[in-house]
Amino acid sequence: MTPLTPRDRGRRFRTLTAAGAGLLLVPLAAACGSGGSGGSGAIRIGVPAPLSGDSASAGQDILAAAKVAADEINKAGGVDGRKVQIVEADDQCSAQQGAQAAQKLLNSGVVAVAGGYCSGAAVPAIPIYGRRGVPFVMDASTNPSLTDGGKGKVFRTCGRDDNQGLVAAKFMTGPLGAKRIALLHDNTTYAKGLADAAANSARQAGGQVVYENALQPGQSDYGPVLTKIASTRPDVLYFTGYFAEAGLLMKQRRQLGLRFALMGGDATTDSTVLKTAGPAAGGYIATTAPLAKDLPAAAKFVSAYKAANNADPGPFSVYEYDAVKVVAKAIDDAGSTRGAAITEALHKIKDFPGITGPITFDAKGDRTDPLYITVQVQGGAFTAYKKLDESGATWVDAKTS
Amino acid sequence: MSEFVQYLVNGLTIGAFLALIALGYSMIYGVVRLINFAHGDVFMIGAFAGFGTLTVLGSTGGMALPAVLAAVVVGALTTGLVGTGIARAAYVPLLSSPRLALLIAAIGVSLALEEGVKVLTDARFESYPHALDGGRILSGAVQVTWGQLVLVVLSVALMAALWLFVTRTVTGTAMRALAMDRDAARLQGIDVERLILATFFIGSLLAGAAGVMYGLYYVQISFGMGFLIGLRAFTAAVLGGIGNLPGTMAAGVCIGLVQSFSAGYVSSRWTDVVIFGLLIAVLALRPTGLFGERVVERA
Repeated sequence: MTPLTPRDRGRRFRTLTAAGAGLLLVPLAAACGSGGSGGSGAIRIGVPAPLSGDSASAGQDILAAAKVAADEINKAGGVDGRKVQIVEADDQCSAQQGAQAAQKLLNSGVVAVAGGYCSGAAVPAIPIYGRRGVPFVMDASTNPSLTDGGKGKVFRTCGRDDNQGLVAAKFMTGPLGAKRIALLHDNTTYAKGLADAAANSARQAGGQVVYENALQPGQSDYGPVLTKIASTRPDVLYFTGYFAEAGLLMKQRRQLGLRFALMGGDATTDSTVLKTAGPAAGGYIATTAPLAKDLPAAAKFVSAYKAANNADPGPFSVYEYDAVKVVAKAIDDAGSTRGAAITEALHKIKDFPGITGPITFDAKGDRTDPLYITVQVQGGAFTAYKKLDESGATWVDAKTS
Repeated sequence: MSEFVQYLVNGLTIGAFLALIALGYSMIYGVVRLINFAHGDVFMIGAFAGFGTLTVLGSTGGMALPAVLAAVVVGALTTGLVGTGIARAAYVPLLSSPRLALLIAAIGVSLALEEGVKVLTDARFESYPHALDGGRILSGAVQVTWGQLVLVVLSVALMAALWLFVTRTVTGTAMRALAMDRDAARLQGIDVERLILATFFIGSLLAGAAGVMYGLYYVQISFGMGFLIGLRAFTAAVLGGIGNLPGTMAAGVCIGLVQSFSAGYVSSRWTDVVIFGLLIAVLALRPTGLFGERVVERA
């Protein structure tokens, strides 16, 4: 390439800027055209999820669930006589990609967003949707800060980490009888938030936190971390990271012959864990929102999902399904596709019959009912184990209701 | 004390894998002067080929040693062929181009392999059968499993075989000649292209074997597994003096130990900072790597 003179560079820069601005304006104009109320054609609902990267399988499960929900809505006549169309965007579970995915969805004219998986990707996306007034119903991003700072335009069909941390702490100091508690996260926004919440609650419940640190995901060898943890003599280790590491932790704990109990958060209830850990998974306990198979109301969804995808739904599929359904209901109630109207309608929804239970949002956008239970690995499967009763103080069998 | 010994055992096991993978970087750099960034992904393909073999052989629970060895052999041969194919298609045509073209091609191949496997496996994690889980050699304060021993023995055997090949055979001698001076080697009647392909075959073969062993040890494999371990093995190759095979083996084991000790005594989240900080420190003090250099700087 011949070297550019300064003037050439200036000219090239201007041409590029003009071309770039033009390219940006076209979809913007299209988005404005279709974003107003009373438009025609399909109603577009955005689904951001990690479709590539380490969490890709969870993201694919979420997208598949959104499509099942949209299919059902469309077969029943759509919303206001218009079809619902799912627009997907890959957030790769990262902050940078999360912002890009949000921008991409807005550019393609979505009227509401239902999805997300990693809290870290949701953090930068929330203000981007917020500036455009587009409501965001999260299905799996559980970090407390998301709705705390969401100005009422952010909702979620899943629970919150502080809520889960509290349930975990109550279980460890209660039925498990643990006094010395070790906490391990993986430095993601979600895992660290859950570990912090569990640590606070555990101290309040009279437990002693003897270890709190992070592992490096993707490293595969957690023997040194486990050996280090064992040296603090914990009664239980609560791991708040994701399933890929959880299975390895179980297997390596057994390889090292360590005796402390191992518990995990809701991101570990994936069937991969059972295959990776093999017999070492027996008795493993996780705190989680109820899984699809523990929810009688989700039976129809599970069979529809299986028929469409030839696989069982992932742990967050039911929450995504409910997120899409509740968004559709809000658009229907609002009779408009304007963001502000949909947001208002979402706040007004009361006891919407979701497959994960009745859905009502509080002023922040969180669900009013607590969601978390514990599950245990029995006979090679996660089985509902114990849950807190309505008083929040007594543990009851989670299978009975 | 028992903690220290445990970290040592874990570190040696990881080091054995790393050394095997690092050898590929070192050999390929030696003859082509190319950092083959696709090497980590070749390792990943080996893990999947071994997984396929074990699945075909019917795998539930404990597998016999012959099945494990069959998986290692199939995994290694598959990656040998994949590696040779990559070299033939992407690198050999660029041999006389600037180094930068080769480097970019290597990154491209790496991404293509990773994305390809991602599509083929639906981005899912796969789990190996638990073939090497049973039985312990030591089960007191320090735990050593038979699986760890099998893997270390296999790694050492492969490294010894490579060493014999490079020093005792005509092809090995020709490879060393090629590493010294490509043009002079050509003048001596060495078929440079064929020899380059042979180097890729052997380097990739070792990575594939390491991939299957990794799968057997950690059980869990995925399309993205090659990146980090590839980068660490590359670090080992550089630390050992890239092109220097015994140095690479030693540095591979060192990196494994550093990984294990830093995760144990500092924190797992600092491991990469320690490893790559060490790399920078060594390069600043000894640009040729810890174990001197055998590769002569060419004009």
